[in-house]
Amino acid sequence: MAAEKRRSMIKMKPKKYKVGDTISVDFIIIHPMDTGMQKDKKTGKIKPAKYLDNVTFLLDGKPFTTMKVWETVSTNPYFSVNLKVPGEGEITVEYTDNTGEKGSKSAKLKPKG
Amino acid sequence: MQRRSFLKGLCAATAAAAAGPVLLSAKEEANAAPQGPNALSYAMAVEAITSGKNITESTKVELIVPEIAENGAVVPVKVNVDHPMEENDYVKAIHVLGKENGNSRCADVMLTPMNGKGYFATRVKLAKTQEVVALVELSDGSFISASKSVKVTIGGCG
Repeated sequence: MAAEKRRSMIKMKPKKYKVGDTISVDFIIIHPMDTGMQKDKKTGKIKPAKYLDNVTFLLDGKPFTTMKVWETVSTNPYFSVNLKVPGEGEITVEYTDNTGEKGSKSAKLKPKG
Repeated sequence: MQRRSFLKGLCAATAAAAAGPVLLSAKEEANAAPQGPNALSYAMAVEAITSGKNITESTKVELIVPEIAENGAVVPVKVNVDHPMEENDYVKAIHVLGKENGNSRCADVMLTPMNGKGYFATRVKLAKTQEVVALVELSDGSFISASKSVKVTIGGCG
């Protein structure tokens, strides 16, 4: 469970922000992003493709950025987009990969001042 | 005399034996050039995104990539679009493409006015030295783009 918790994270920059500010929301996730072209060094067999294909950024359940991603994105990907802070809320990032694996991560949006 | 000719023959034979497998393996590699699951050329990818519309090069799109990437597996890419983000006039999508990659598409990002700014950053893999293209779609359906070449010393794909 601890490992599951650490698989992904959401970072907001800068740390202190007000309503109406434009902040950057970074999403970082541990994921192999295998292209389906590399060989496994131990077994010598070609590793099957495993990459994220859909990433959605939601604010209180309403999507504000949707991404279609391909295997050409680096291992342990990082995606950064901007968000104009409308007030308090919750940012959720949902992702699926080509093997059907799903997951999501949430973070609270707390503007000050 | 006999010994000399025998040695000569032996040398030629070993040379041929050494050269043979090398040639063969090179051929095999060329034949079995790995094809990714979504291999798509740059021209096809652009066609799929724009469906034949004109693309204009614009200074409004700021593409930040390193000039030389030591490791092609991790190349940071940043796209900044100098365009208002209002209800009726905003940046609709940012596409990041690598021209020479097996699958030239890297990420298609659909933005909304809630973003506040046309900005996207990620890290991509580049197979070899090539141009990275940021293709930006505005809400009125027009396309603007910027491209920059990145020197890759070690390839990142495959």
